[in-house]
Amino acid sequence: MTHARARAIALSLLASPAIVIAVLSLDARHRRAKSRAEAPALALVAARLPTSDLALSGGARWLRAPSLEEPAAAFADGPALPDPDPAGGAMAPPVEVWSAIEERSGRRPAPGGAR
Amino acid sequence: MKGGLLAYALGALARRKARSLALGGGLAFAVALVAAVVFLTEALRAEAERAHAAHPDIVVQKLVGGRPTTISVAEAKKLEDIPSVRSVTPRVWGYVFLPALQGNVTIVSTPRGAPALSVANGTLASGRDLKPGEHEMVAGVELAHFLGMLPGDELGLPSPDPRARPMKLVGTFRSSLDLWTSDVILVDEDDARALLGVPDGEATDLAVTLANPAESRVVAGTIVERLPGTRVIERDLLERVYHLAYGRRAGLVLGASIPAILALLVLAWDRASGVGADERREIAVLKAVGWSTSDVLWAKLFESILVGACATALGLILGYAWVFWLGAPGLRPALVGWSVLYPTSSLTPAVDLSQLLGITIAVLGPFVLLSIVPAWRAATSDPLESMRS
Repeated sequence: MTHARARAIALSLLASPAIVIAVLSLDARHRRAKSRAEAPALALVAARLPTSDLALSGGARWLRAPSLEEPAAAFADGPALPDPDPAGGAMAPPVEVWSAIEERSGRRPAPGGAR
Repeated sequence: MKGGLLAYALGALARRKARSLALGGGLAFAVALVAAVVFLTEALRAEAERAHAAHPDIVVQKLVGGRPTTISVAEAKKLEDIPSVRSVTPRVWGYVFLPALQGNVTIVSTPRGAPALSVANGTLASGRDLKPGEHEMVAGVELAHFLGMLPGDELGLPSPDPRARPMKLVGTFRSSLDLWTSDVILVDEDDARALLGVPDGEATDLAVTLANPAESRVVAGTIVERLPGTRVIERDLLERVYHLAYGRRAGLVLGASIPAILALLVLAWDRASGVGADERREIAVLKAVGWSTSDVLWAKLFESILVGACATALGLILGYAWVFWLGAPGLRPALVGWSVLYPTSSLTPAVDLSQLLGITIAVLGPFVLLSIVPAWRAATSDPLESMRS
């Protein structure tokens, strides 16, 4: 391998992360454009579905539609396991709503924001 | 001059192929794992938000004992006169456990006046939309494949209600919509009530559409006042759910991977910091023929930078290919969800330039910084001492 060739290879290897980033960005942009073309079809179907949640946990009723399910899931993935999915627990009504109702009805909100 | 040192560094790496490959391979694997988790998480968040606009502004559920239960259709009347409310639609949907599938399918009633689905508008892969009153259904293509059904076949879904009839498959959703429809069965309202056991006059929930979505917080307050004991879910809060759900999963997967990544990095550090007898002799010869300490330091640094750059580039390609070209085998069940019917459609990359640059800098920066000490140690070694040993 000549000195000049070795230098050229070394320089291209140094630039390889930038080249890879550029290529991956282009591929990602191309795929995003392709998926944008399907947006009208998705909008038609989504209008018929109860929620826009992804159908990724059909086996677990409390995870199928995390935005709409019960506030406290009956189970995590197993007894005493950390629950990686907050399920409906993350969707409590906004606290301000409860405070406003309490104030309007002339009652004082309970300490600690309890309902 | 630096170009010459760079060429020399490449030659040195080629002479120690096994060491360079072990070092670069370990680093590339760690980059690929982290990049794949980031790519998959971002793609899932973006997919979850793609159909966000079709979600009702507010959903009202009735709770009894902390559990959602059916809500009276008559309750919709109490909400229709709230300022900014455009429509209140009672919806009937729910889950049915299919023993053949060993999982749930989602039964959804088609609202009246909904735009038609067809192969022409890109929503169906085959067949046509269902006709009300004909006991027909449109199902996800994955579900139809699993059950071995083709348009025209009939399926008897388990239901305690004697009104439930076998449903005739008349169409399947397009596979590119799998992420939303893989376990969905669309039927008309009467069939949905019969299959789910929802009595007439009751609904699963109420979908509220607003003239001005910015007023959803005020309307939510009014709904809670008028319908005590209901759970009011605003569309704008959905984004939080997705960020929490996928963020937690990504955190758990990355947390579980930390020991493996650390072991690889420690191994890489060990290989990078250890200067072998051959290398010591090589450095001694270089210094004996007139190389300065600075030249040797740069040559050693260039070796590390070359390995780090190649490994980062390779890791990014591997991570991207793993998720978007191969469909994330091995990683998908841990991050995506728990289901019998996995949607097979490929995810759309949501990764942008800043994330790719961030991963690169986060890996390459510490790796090059950590290699300064061993490079300095090698560069300042005494050539005579090295030759003698």
